[in-house]
Amino acid sequence: MRPLFSPLMKIDLAVVGQGAVSPAGVGVVALRGVDPVPTEIAYVGQPDKTWPVLRVNLKNPAFVRWQKEPRLRRASPISFFMVEAAEQALANVSARDRADTGLIVSFCAGCLAYSRRFFEGIVSEGQRSASPALFPETVFNSPVSHVAGVLGLNGAAYALVGDETAWIAGLKTASVWLRQGRVKQVLVLGAEEFDPVALDAYRSAHWLSRQNPAHNFLPSEGAAGLLVRQSQAGDSLIIAKAQDGLVYHSKKEASVVAERLLRDSDPKIPFYPNAQRNWFRSLERKFGEGLIAIPGSDQRYLGEAFTASSAWRTLRALQRLTTMTPRIFVPVWGLNHQVGSLELEMRT
Amino acid sequence: MNRRIVVTGLGAVTPLGVDLPMSWKALLAGRDADAPLELFDTAGYRCHRAASAMLPPLPNVSGKKMSRLSRASRLAIPAARAALAQAGLLDTTGKSTCPLIPLSVSTTAGGMAFGETFLRNVLARNRAHLLSQVSRYLPHEQVLNLQQTIGFEGPSVILANACASGANAIGHAADLISVGDADYVLTGGFEALTELVFGGFDCLQATSVDRCRPFDLHRSGLLLGEAAAFLVLESEEHALGRGAKPICELTGYGHTTDFFHLTQPQPEGKALLEAMQRATTQARINPAQVGYINAHGTATPVNDGTEAQAYLSFLGESLGQTRISSTKAAIGHTLGAAGAIEALFAIQALMTRRLPPQINLQTPIPEIAHALVGAEETCSHLRHVMSVNLGFGGSNAALVFSTYEN
Repeated sequence: MRPLFSPLMKIDLAVVGQGAVSPAGVGVVALRGVDPVPTEIAYVGQPDKTWPVLRVNLKNPAFVRWQKEPRLRRASPISFFMVEAAEQALANVSARDRADTGLIVSFCAGCLAYSRRFFEGIVSEGQRSASPALFPETVFNSPVSHVAGVLGLNGAAYALVGDETAWIAGLKTASVWLRQGRVKQVLVLGAEEFDPVALDAYRSAHWLSRQNPAHNFLPSEGAAGLLVRQSQAGDSLIIAKAQDGLVYHSKKEASVVAERLLRDSDPKIPFYPNAQRNWFRSLERKFGEGLIAIPGSDQRYLGEAFTASSAWRTLRALQRLTTMTPRIFVPVWGLNHQVGSLELEMRT
Repeated sequence: MNRRIVVTGLGAVTPLGVDLPMSWKALLAGRDADAPLELFDTAGYRCHRAASAMLPPLPNVSGKKMSRLSRASRLAIPAARAALAQAGLLDTTGKSTCPLIPLSVSTTAGGMAFGETFLRNVLARNRAHLLSQVSRYLPHEQVLNLQQTIGFEGPSVILANACASGANAIGHAADLISVGDADYVLTGGFEALTELVFGGFDCLQATSVDRCRPFDLHRSGLLLGEAAAFLVLESEEHALGRGAKPICELTGYGHTTDFFHLTQPQPEGKALLEAMQRATTQARINPAQVGYINAHGTATPVNDGTEAQAYLSFLGESLGQTRISSTKAAIGHTLGAAGAIEALFAIQALMTRRLPPQINLQTPIPEIAHALVGAEETCSHLRHVMSVNLGFGGSNAALVFSTYEN
C-alpha cells in the first residue's frame, strides 16, 4: 500500500471576501440559483457534431465596466471573469489595503482561447501571420497581471498551474505569505475559459458520453475567489486545513488515493460530495459510503472548469456551514494529477 | 528567513552541456550555443536561430517510457536527478531516497510541443493519438513524469510567472522551509523550445537576427533557449542532521509586481529595484555587499535599459565593485527555466570565485559598462551573489545566495 503523506495541514485562513463568475451568473448568490442552460458548441475537428457547454454570458452588464479598462482592451474572456470575481471579493477593501494585498491565481488550461487562436493562425495562415496582439495574452501570467493592474493590488502575485488541486496549492501558498507577513491579505482565485478545441480534447479522453445523461460531463468556464487573511478571534468563516499531494499515475492508483482520502477523513465531520459528473463520481460514491454527506451538493451543476470548479464548490460548501454543521470536509478531485481536500469551519 | 536555508544539491541541463560542470566550463570559456534551430521549420519567421540543448541519456528509463516523455521532461528529469544525487538523496538506480520530498517548479510552456501536435491534428481532422498528445502538454504532466521516474510524490507547486518563474519557484521553496511547512524541497525550472513560443517572440520582434548582445547599445533582441535546472534546498538543521554538506545559503528573496505594461517594465525599473532591496533586506546585507549579479539581461532594447537604471539606483557608487553579467548571451533566454539556471550560475560563481563573462559586447551601455564582467575575471572576496529576473506581466524577482558559514 502506498503511504498516505502530507496530512491535513492547518492553514487557518479567515474568509473576508468572496466573488464568483459562473455560467449561472455573476455573483456568489448565483452559485445557488437555477441551473444554467447549456449551449451546443461544435467540435473544432468535426464541425457537424456538437456538445453542450456551459458558458458565461459576457453580455451581462457586470462586464461592461471592465470593457472600458485600457488594460483589458485586448484581453481574453478569462481576464474578464477574473477581474469581476476579484472585484466582488475586494468590494469592502480600501485602495490603501489593496496595495498590501497579494494575488494568487490557479489555472489548469489558462488562456486557452487566445493560445488556440494564436497557434491556429500560424498553422492555417502561415508563420508570417502570427499575431503580436494575441501572443502576450497566451501567457499564464497575463490575466494575473491584468487583475493586479486594474484593481491596484500591489503585493506579490503568483500564477499557479495544475489540475483542480492547484486551487488548494493557491490557498496553502496564501497561508505561507500571511505567516511570513509578506502581505496583509491575499486574494486567491481559480479561473478557466472555454474554447471549442477543449471539446476535441475531452472527447479524446472519453469524458463525453451521451450514453448516461446523469454522467454527462459539461465543459464550463468562469472564476471564483476568496479574500483571505490570517484568522483572528471573531472571524467566523475559516479554511481550517488543507491537504494535497496525493498523486496518481493511473485510474487504478486514483482509486487507491481516493479511498485513502475519504477513509482517513474524520467520520464525525460531514463531507461535501464534489465529483458531480466527472470520472471520480463512482469512486466518491463507493468510498464515501458511511460518511455523513451534506445533502443537496448535487442539486446545482455548474459544469467542469477545473480550478474554477474547485473554487465554486468551496464557496458553495462555505454556504452550507451553520452552527449545526460547523465543520465540512471538501474532497478535491484533480482529474489528471492528484487529489486533496479542504476542511472548512464556522467559528462562533 | 525564520530558519537558515541551505543549498545541498545542484543539477542542470543547458545548451552548453548535458550537466552543470560541463555548462559552467563552457560558460567561463565564453562560448555560446547560438545555432540554427532544427527542432521545427522556421522558414516563415524573421529569426531562425536558438540555443538548443542536447538531451542527456536517461539511465533506468525504458525506451517505451522515454518515447512518451515530452522534451521538457527529457530536460527536467536528468537535471532533477543530478541535484538529488549531489544532495545524497538519490540511490544507484536513479530513484529518490526521499519519497515525499515536496516540489516547487516553474515553466511557462510545459510540454507545449504535444499541444501543438494536438491542434495540428484536430485542424487536419486526424483523430489518431489525440489523447496521448493533449494529456502530455499540461505542465503537471511533466511534474508527474518527474515524480514517477525519480520515485517521489507529495505536494507540488507549479509556478508560471513568465520569465521570473524560476526565481519565484526557488523563492517559494525557501518560503515553505522558512515557515516550517517543509524541511527540504526539490525546486527549479524547465523549458523546452516550442514553436508557439518561438513564433510568439518572433512576431513581437523580440528575437534578434543578430547576435544576442545583452547590455550593448546596439542590442537588437533575445536568443531563445531551453534548459532545466534544479536545486535541493533544506533547512540547515535538516541538512546537518543527515550529514549533508551545505553548498551555500539562500539568504534573501524579494518579488514584486510592476503594473506599467503587460510586456514592458516601468522605465526606471522601480519594481525590480524594490525586489532587489527586499532580497538584500531579508539577507541582512547592504547592496554593496553583493559581489556579483547574474542579470536578467535579455538584450531586448527595452529590458536592458530599464535593468541598467535599476542597478544604478540599487548599487549607487558601488556599481562597478559589484560585477554584472547576463548569461543569456550564452544559453539563450530559457523563460520558465531562466530564474533557476541563472541562480545556479550565480551559485557557481560564489563557490568558484570565477565570474561568467558578458560575451558578445561591442558597445556597452555607458552607465554600467564598468560593471560588466570581462573575460576570465575572478573575485576572491565574493560572499554574496544575486540572481535577478523580470517577466511578462510585471513579475520581478531577486534571490541572494551567500557563502555558508557554520
